[in-house]
Amino acid sequence: MTIESPVWVPPSWDEVVREHADRVYRLAYRLSGNRADAEDLTQETFVRVFRSLAEYKPGTFEGWLHRITTNLFLDMVRRRQRIRFDALPEDAGDRLAGADPGPEQTYDEMHLDPEIQAALDALPPDFRVAVVLCDLEQLSYEEIAATLGIKVGTVRSRIHRGRVLLREALAHRAPGLRPAEPGVERDLSEASA
Amino acid sequence: MGSQHLSDEAVAAFADGVLSGHARDRAGRHTAACAECAHAVKVQREAVWALRAAAAPPLPTSLLDRLRTVPQTTEITTLPTVLAPDGSTMLATFAPVAAFVPSPSPRPSHRTRPIVTTAAVVALAGALTAGSVAQRVATPAQPGSGSTVRTGVPGPLDDGPVITQVGVFRNTNR
Repeated sequence: MTIESPVWVPPSWDEVVREHADRVYRLAYRLSGNRADAEDLTQETFVRVFRSLAEYKPGTFEGWLHRITTNLFLDMVRRRQRIRFDALPEDAGDRLAGADPGPEQTYDEMHLDPEIQAALDALPPDFRVAVVLCDLEQLSYEEIAATLGIKVGTVRSRIHRGRVLLREALAHRAPGLRPAEPGVERDLSEASA
Repeated sequence: MGSQHLSDEAVAAFADGVLSGHARDRAGRHTAACAECAHAVKVQREAVWALRAAAAPPLPTSLLDRLRTVPQTTEITTLPTVLAPDGSTMLATFAPVAAFVPSPSPRPSHRTRPIVTTAAVVALAGALTAGSVAQRVATPAQPGSGSTVRTGVPGPLDDGPVITQVGVFRNTNR
């Protein structure tokens, strides 16, 4: 790597936040399915970023953020699964509160398609992560494999299965499903040609 | 029909348009003749459309405010990392003196490079959009407060001591 311009300056933390917070929050929301968890995940992601900038290896900053957010989410899921499997402790209600729809959900539902988010939430976390990274964050299979530390073949099969489940969950909407992007539509016409 | 059904992985990859060359041609021919596989590809795409049609949630402003204050509210425990002076790798130094030296004690005099008094010194080479210099810094002694510190970069920008506080250096855009 070489320095690109003779004078360049590091962005301030404020700029890092402004540049990336939206995307991190959106990813966190898609993965967790609720605002409370999405906020926690986003905050924790930026705390990790701040703490571990020294360990950052050159690459894309976005990729790094995706990896942190996704892994934090998977950790959260595993932690909650463990709590559920164990005898529930006294404060389980509080600890699991983030998973329950709260008053914030009313706000969110005005902005999101609740059916689609619900279908996403119903996916097993590993499938959900693969589908969200692929279809919403638009990462390549290879990038997803690197993010999750799994093989590309595994990524593909999780994406395939996740989408099948998602489509089944939305089966009643069949007539309402329309191409959202011209690019995708073009691909379809190519395939059916 | 003739040819073998597409594997699940091939169905996903074909739906995403990422098969290339021979594999794509074969998948195209097969789906043209096989209703089952054509349907499987359609299911994949419909799921993608449904997902992308859903609006993205907006970032709450209260969260944005909290993220901005992360440097003031986060303790740094990472040990120092030596700078790569040529910038060929990550440029990072943390100098959280307080992390391994009791904060009131005098600074070790055998240091070979200047140590700033701030909680951390970070410079980072990587692909990132560049911005301006001013940094807000929390000192170990005053964890709640921030102060603006000049950021110096070894090399072209260097007109001061070692870099101060979190700076994400633009290096290349990959």
